[in-house]
Amino acid sequence: MGYFDALDIAASGLSAQRLRMDIISENIANISTTRTSQGTPYRRKVVVFEAQDNNVRFSELLTESGKKNPLNQGGGVKATKIVEDPSPFKKVYDPGHPDSNEEGFVEMPNVDTVTEMINMISASRSYEANVTSINATKSIALKALEIGR
Amino acid sequence: MGGVVKLMDDLFGSMKFSEKAMDAAWLTNKTISQNIANVDTPGYKRKTVKFEEILKSSSAQSFEGLKTNSLHVDIGSSIDDENIKIVTENENLSYRIDGNNVDIDTEMASLAKNTIKYNVLAQSVNAGLKRIKTVISEGR
Repeated sequence: MGYFDALDIAASGLSAQRLRMDIISENIANISTTRTSQGTPYRRKVVVFEAQDNNVRFSELLTESGKKNPLNQGGGVKATKIVEDPSPFKKVYDPGHPDSNEEGFVEMPNVDTVTEMINMISASRSYEANVTSINATKSIALKALEIGR
Repeated sequence: MGGVVKLMDDLFGSMKFSEKAMDAAWLTNKTISQNIANVDTPGYKRKTVKFEEILKSSSAQSFEGLKTNSLHVDIGSSIDDENIKIVTENENLSYRIDGNNVDIDTEMASLAKNTIKYNVLAQSVNAGLKRIKTVISEGR
């Protein structure tokens, strides 16, 4: 078992939550974007997380400790995909808008401010939880250094 | 020579448990970190470390059991790394719609508990070493 595995795992959690926060910011920033390169209004993006299992390192295989040690479970979290939310666009009546159709409706992005705000709070709390876990790991690693002093 | 080995065993034997328990606490810390990192991963099930149960069943190391059958096993076999296990608990339980069963409050509480446990164990190893030091220096 690698000595700094716990730190790496928590760090993977931090970067995953930060990416999630980035995407939430993008969604909020584009809340009224009606033009994209695909010709549609902006579609809300969602990050997909996946648990990482069993990443045996090369050095561990080399020393054979990785082979007999079945404890090598868990390598944190990884953001594997950023997918687009397929839910329908919101229709807003605004005949003066340059992107309005013949009936005067404009298709607006399928972004909901409240949902994004709640996800943002969730992301920042999860980030804090990972920071706490890093601090706990750090404190016990430093405690181990005090042995035999 | 055997006497010296025996002496060293007697001196450091009491620390062996603490060492193993520290290994287990370190692994627990890693597992809790994994659970916290995956708090938002759909379908993830929390992992826990099984150590205390194994320790309980093997802490009677100084006794030797009477074996009347070839199927009998030794009382208090030593604790190897292989005996510490990571298990996925309550695989069918999920109290969230995405199938995840990590409760962040439980994890944070376990994290705090585990940190204190590790510190206690480190202190006890330290105290053991200090005792030996005192003996070596004839109590001075």
